[in-house]
Amino acid sequence: MRSLILTAVAVLVPGVALAQTAAAPAAGGSMVGPYAVLVAGFAMAFAAGLCALGQGKAIASAVDAMARQPGAAARIQTAMIIGLALIESLAIYVLVVAMILLFVQPIK
Amino acid sequence: MGAIDHPPILRIPGIQDHVLYTFVVMLILVGVSFAASRRVALVPRGAQNFMEVVLEYIIGMIDDVIGPAGRPYLPLIGTLGLFILVSNLLGLVPGLMAPTGNLMTNAACALVVFFAYHYIGIKKQGFGHYLKHFMGPVPALAPLMIPIEVISHLARPLSLTLRLFGNMTGGHILLAIIFFLMGLDGLIGWALTGSVGGIVLGGIGGLFTMAFTVGFLYPLKILVAFLQAFIFVMLTMLYIAGALEGAEHDEHHAESHAAHH
Repeated sequence: MRSLILTAVAVLVPGVALAQTAAAPAAGGSMVGPYAVLVAGFAMAFAAGLCALGQGKAIASAVDAMARQPGAAARIQTAMIIGLALIESLAIYVLVVAMILLFVQPIK
Repeated sequence: MGAIDHPPILRIPGIQDHVLYTFVVMLILVGVSFAASRRVALVPRGAQNFMEVVLEYIIGMIDDVIGPAGRPYLPLIGTLGLFILVSNLLGLVPGLMAPTGNLMTNAACALVVFFAYHYIGIKKQGFGHYLKHFMGPVPALAPLMIPIEVISHLARPLSLTLRLFGNMTGGHILLAIIFFLMGLDGLIGWALTGSVGGIVLGGIGGLFTMAFTVGFLYPLKILVAFLQAFIFVMLTMLYIAGALEGAEHDEHHAESHAAHH
């Protein structure tokens, strides 16, 4: 575990230092540009992972309920689809923010 | 964005793309409705049969979610559903674009839903009585409940817009990147250069990517198109049901629920 942390630090610190020296002459006011891309990638990955966890829980309990009461399967399926789309929309909001950071680039 | 940008093929210089394709969707819907309503027969055939199936499905959903009181709102719900469905499916055709991939179209649909369900609630219950539901179950909690309710009601059109926009544009960007990766600038181009590595890796990779796109990504996009239209319509019906619901007291609501089951 300690070797993993040391490796991560050894990789990231020169990367950050390089990005700073590269960005400082490029951007006049702020050095946010490269970090915006990094943050967009991490944010999307994080959101996708958490969304998958939430949707997994939703589907698990829906399938459980359908196995318990096969007669109500159609209504449970409808509720499950609605729940999945609502959970997914949270990840979509993160996607929209990531797209704003990448394409609209509000802060250069 | 420059390398993967591919604007639609059909463009008119003075008109914005999403407006033009909204007109294309309108033409398609009017055309299908026209074809379905010529020679209306008691035993439906052809286009009339198809539209009757669609209509029965939507009416079934309305009865399920809002109840029989929701029948007057069938034109609004049906039009929104069909418009969003056809718009989403239009984006799947290479060379055309989905008007719902643009924020403006989605915001228009969402704002229509927002004003519609508030208008329905106010018309059913009266302005004062409708506003009283913003205050929560206990009047003492009103200063806490009102900001929460206002923000959550304002978040509804925003979430409707962004959900539809994110799904459509996200799928579009994904397809654009995959086409770029496997196209003439990518794997297939590498295979066509004639080098050994190009033919082996580029050829196999290109074929695999094409199979992946046709076999998995396109069906997924079709599923997402139907699903997002369904979700939009379902949420509209839930909001209308919520606006109408306050008119019945809790016992009537429980009774009608028991009668449905």
